[in-house]
Amino acid sequence: MANFFPRWSNFTPFKLAICLGALAFGVTFVVAVYVNPSSLRVGYQPTQPIPYSHEIHVNQLGMDCRYCHSFVEHGSHANVPSANVCWNCHGPNKVQSDNPKLSPLYAAMGIDQKTGAEIPAVPLEWVRVHKSPDYVYFNHSAHVNRGVSCQSCHGDVDEMKVVHHEEPLSMGWCLDCHRAPEEHLRPIEEVTNLDYDVEEYLKANPIKDAEGNAIETQTEFGKFLKAHWNVKPKESCAACHR
Amino acid sequence: MSKRVWNHPEVPADEAGTQVWRSPAELEGSPLFQDWLHREFPEKNGELTEEERELSRRNFVKLMGASSALAGLGLASCRRPESYIVPFTQAPEWVIPGKALYYATTMPRPGGAVPLVATTFEGRPTKLEPNNEFGDASGTDAFTQASILDLYDPYRSKDVLNNGKKSSRFELDAALKELSSQAGKVGFVFGEDDSPTRNRLVGELKKKFPGAKAYRYEALESHASEEVLGQGVRMVVDFAKADRILSFDCDFTSLDQVGPVKPFFDRRQGGSHDKDKLYAHQIKAEKMNRLYQVEAAYSLTGGVADHRLRTAPSQIVKIAAGVAAALNVSVPGFSPEMLSAEEQKWVAECAKDLQSKKGKSVVLAGNRQSKELHELVAAINSALGNIGPDKPASLVQTGGKDSAGLTELVADIKAGALDTLVLLTPSNPVYDSPADVDFKALLGKVKTSIHWGTRTNATAYATTWHVPAAHYLESWGDAKTAKGTHALIQPLILPLYNGVGELELLNSFLNEGALQLGDEQVPAAGYDEIRKTFEAAVGKDAAAWAQALQVGFVDASYDEAAAPAVSANPGESLQAAAPTKDALDVIFAPDASVWDGRFIDNSWMQEAPDPISKLTWDNVAYISPKTAKALGISSDLVKLEPVNNVAGIDTKNAPRPEIGEGEKAKAPQIDVQIGDKVLKIPVLVSFGLAENTLVLPVGYGQAADDGRSGAIKFDSSQPTVGLVGLNTGFNVYPLREMAALWTVSGAKVSNNSGRYPVALTQEHHAMYGRALALEISTDTVETKGHGSKDFKTQLKKVKKQGMDSHMPKNHSIYKPNDTEGKPLISDEIHQWAMAIDLNTCMGCNACLVACQSENNIPVVGKEQVAKGREMHWIRMDRYYAATPEGDEDNPEMIPQPVACQQCELAPCEVVCPVNATVHTEEGLNAMAYNRCIGTRYCANNCPYKARRFNFFDYNKRNPLIEKNLYKGPWGEKQEGDARHLQRNPNVSVRMRGVMEKCTYCVQRLENSKIKQKQITRKKSLGVASTGVEISNEDLRIKVDSVKVACQDACPAGAITFGNLLDEKKAAVVRAKDSQRNYDLLNYIGTLPRTSYLARVKNPNPAMPDAKSVGQATINIH
Repeated sequence: MANFFPRWSNFTPFKLAICLGALAFGVTFVVAVYVNPSSLRVGYQPTQPIPYSHEIHVNQLGMDCRYCHSFVEHGSHANVPSANVCWNCHGPNKVQSDNPKLSPLYAAMGIDQKTGAEIPAVPLEWVRVHKSPDYVYFNHSAHVNRGVSCQSCHGDVDEMKVVHHEEPLSMGWCLDCHRAPEEHLRPIEEVTNLDYDVEEYLKANPIKDAEGNAIETQTEFGKFLKAHWNVKPKESCAACHR
Repeated sequence: MSKRVWNHPEVPADEAGTQVWRSPAELEGSPLFQDWLHREFPEKNGELTEEERELSRRNFVKLMGASSALAGLGLASCRRPESYIVPFTQAPEWVIPGKALYYATTMPRPGGAVPLVATTFEGRPTKLEPNNEFGDASGTDAFTQASILDLYDPYRSKDVLNNGKKSSRFELDAALKELSSQAGKVGFVFGEDDSPTRNRLVGELKKKFPGAKAYRYEALESHASEEVLGQGVRMVVDFAKADRILSFDCDFTSLDQVGPVKPFFDRRQGGSHDKDKLYAHQIKAEKMNRLYQVEAAYSLTGGVADHRLRTAPSQIVKIAAGVAAALNVSVPGFSPEMLSAEEQKWVAECAKDLQSKKGKSVVLAGNRQSKELHELVAAINSALGNIGPDKPASLVQTGGKDSAGLTELVADIKAGALDTLVLLTPSNPVYDSPADVDFKALLGKVKTSIHWGTRTNATAYATTWHVPAAHYLESWGDAKTAKGTHALIQPLILPLYNGVGELELLNSFLNEGALQLGDEQVPAAGYDEIRKTFEAAVGKDAAAWAQALQVGFVDASYDEAAAPAVSANPGESLQAAAPTKDALDVIFAPDASVWDGRFIDNSWMQEAPDPISKLTWDNVAYISPKTAKALGISSDLVKLEPVNNVAGIDTKNAPRPEIGEGEKAKAPQIDVQIGDKVLKIPVLVSFGLAENTLVLPVGYGQAADDGRSGAIKFDSSQPTVGLVGLNTGFNVYPLREMAALWTVSGAKVSNNSGRYPVALTQEHHAMYGRALALEISTDTVETKGHGSKDFKTQLKKVKKQGMDSHMPKNHSIYKPNDTEGKPLISDEIHQWAMAIDLNTCMGCNACLVACQSENNIPVVGKEQVAKGREMHWIRMDRYYAATPEGDEDNPEMIPQPVACQQCELAPCEVVCPVNATVHTEEGLNAMAYNRCIGTRYCANNCPYKARRFNFFDYNKRNPLIEKNLYKGPWGEKQEGDARHLQRNPNVSVRMRGVMEKCTYCVQRLENSKIKQKQITRKKSLGVASTGVEISNEDLRIKVDSVKVACQDACPAGAITFGNLLDEKKAAVVRAKDSQRNYDLLNYIGTLPRTSYLARVKNPNPAMPDAKSVGQATINIH
């Protein structure tokens, strides 16, 4: 009986197994690392119709987040300002009123930027950066009213010329904070202060814990606030999914 | 796979126990019913059929192929799709994106307007709630709840029609201009609701057009009582003052209201529902009211009644005459022999009881009863001194005093007194007026006819002009409540489909035909008109006006009308022969789903099971079991013992009977012959129905294209209904004649071989166990082997009724602790719970529709309902019960709403392989839809059968197109359908393959909790927030401040909901402390958070049937 398989084929199954194994590992690795919110979302930085710079408005001009995102303490959404809010400063004969970058704002208000004549209004379409899935009911007011800063989820917006997605906003990421809120709590009055530094704050406002020791770190301070404000974030499904 | 069956002990052989049943099949012990009981779905209904399976598998492979190919092609563009945020340019005041805004408005109704609070999201109304600022608020009924869906109906009328052809507003304006310039003889036909501004405009119109006349017409509103009491006079009842109520076929709790119904149910609670002290006291028999009901077919009021006398419709007058005679009211022509011996005793004892509560009782006659009966009732009431100030009943003069009825309208048209007819009635006279009136021909006798309505119904095509109407949520207006409060109708949105408001149309006649419709800047003419009315009544104070709009009503009341001296003169009606099987009495009954037919295109109402028969999507004839047997159709309906005759030998329980209530359930059809008219209609047996009486609900059969003979043929060039109303039910109206509008005698029924598929839900979601809806009696009850029990003992023993009397306490194997031994239900601020009081629940479906509206519950269509796949989160079980001494043909009826019981030890949670259903810290059994993979293990393990599965993507694919759901991606989609605008943005819309169930309206709970959390910021104002202390009490929401949708809608206040940690301050805790409180299926140890309160019947011990009242479950082991 002839040999059906030549000698070199002896190791073929072994080699195949190694190759397929490596492939499977590679695919799993790539999916695990890249197909998740921290890779897919973080860094997303779309071009907006008006190149609005948070850096100028917040850092240089010192505007509070709530001037534009006015309902963040009351509603579930941190609203994008309606065009008439921009208009307060950028209306005709006001700040930068002849800047062509503002032409979408003038279009939205139905006014020709050059002539001042009334034209049909075209609403502003801001490109959405942060988006939770439809089955997630995130509520801004529940967080900012309990000492979670804008910064914790949106990053240092005050330094962003163009807003980008800073944190993954994945469920695991949400739960990290829900399980250990002390890492993020800060005094209510500092929630929208994006320059906040916990150590400087504690130096300026010394706080002692129950045993009379001075609080020095975020964790200690967070635990202090958590206890005093009775912060017990929910970890059950119904907190966010309805 | 069948689940583990709990071995319920057999009923001891020596006991002739009380029978409790949901359907004829359960009464008979049919194997088909056992199927519903044992399984989540009967065999095959839970699985895909061959047809579905084949298509799906093929589709799946095709789809996979196509999508992987596309994925390959599309990789280059594998980027996050851009989505946009488009803010307002000029932000309107008050609107906060994502937050609900509430406005007061009112739904006009014939029996009195219902003040409402409408929820809107970004200008889009999504939900209606009763306006609880209004003193007489009595929840809302199913029709009110469902009316919001009509607003978004994509089949609503959108175009002006001229002689049935599409026309334009331009041409209409020209026509209106011409009409309003001529001093013509105009007739305005309104609905039966009362509106002060409309009345004022009618007065002005009458001044401008000397020939103008006003009429009122609604198909199901009778003017018989007005003939007795005076035109436009109505009797309004304050049930708080009524100790005894005798009702002659008056369904005053639901379809036939005579005043706010909440006080009736509060009195039903014997002091435990005293104002602001809900359940603070135990129920006291002497504080309870007592209701006697005389009726032919079961109404929901009849179900609540303590004593119910079943009698044919033609014989009701005799009973009333008997009561009158017993109270020494002279009734010429009456002799006691006209009543049977039992009826005589019933009447005598009832009259004695009424006599003992002189001035504190009330006697009612149904809206659709004869003039003779209304006379008798008026005479009895005045003999008892029940009418007047501080008395239960009062006569009020409504605005209807200047408008006549259908009879006068017909006469005027025939006499040529009208050139122009303007139809503003919500009814559809071409379809629903009596057959011998021939309204279509009458329309030909006027020069111009205008129909104003939200639907392009039969009348719209028969008139010269049809004007699309604005829905009441789109228009300004006002209306009178039952007692005459001036309620304001405020629009919540501009007309979606170019509708015109009623007041705008009337105003145009005064205003040279110019229709002054509103836009974003200028309100419609109706606004100015109602403001004028308001200013005439209250004054020109702008602040008062703003305040009135905000609360939605202005205090006002109707003028009292003088009680006319009425003498009873029943005359020939006393001679009416009792019906026989060859000459049946027929009742033309309102339908609890479509009323007179106006809700035919409302899919929520169509799918809401009829409260009595549990039929969806159709109307059928109802007949009592015995009559059915006598007529020879009983072998198909109630087979008291399934018997098979094989070669001359009877074998019991042999084959499965053909009628079961699954997919293949087909009701036999009969031919009903009245005079020379014949209607072919399916028939079902109904318990508690008088013998030799046939009930025909009206309003259906408006259009059909499947060749059925009992409906109007559908004409696609002139569609009178949308997809919802097409091919539903049978048209009963052609049998009605002017002389016999509500009942007729002498009908013949012949058996017909045809069968018609019906979608009945009465057997769906049947639970194991006996004595589920518990009941006790204020009277002493003889029990089997335990001596007699008085009311107090019965109260004490409520928890020991049924299985719990002898079952050992079950120790659950499920542990309420996490792996570290900490309790899972750990929240110290909120622990939610609910109590449902069966004593006040009448089974009206208001909760069911409210839940559908709040929680984005899809409609699944008749085909799917027949398979048991309806999605209602709260279902209304209805049981019949008869004691051995009682009458199986006149059983008691006990409704029981069942939703997820939120078990603390939930059997569903342990079987979920993916943790999609888990407990929250606050005691909710939460559903994470996005985790659910659709194994349906949870539903299979739920002893309450409270879980619902999305077999298809009911939201995306239109389930109303035949077989559309089975076509997969090739089926017709309904995305972007206008009805989706009604969706609640705070509740996920579920897709195919996902389990869902009652969540205790978790979105409302979360919203109120989040609102409460703002306290941290509020307390930090002006002080360093680091020094602020927040306690559990600070974070706890105000006692009883959150209401769930079913609770808010309930007209009877039967549902209480709240936080267990509020202790006695919370009504729900007090309810649960009540002796009547019990857990459903307590012995299986699931520790449900929803509990029930046993129903209490308050029988009169002297009545002949006293010994069978309130004992549905007391003798059940």
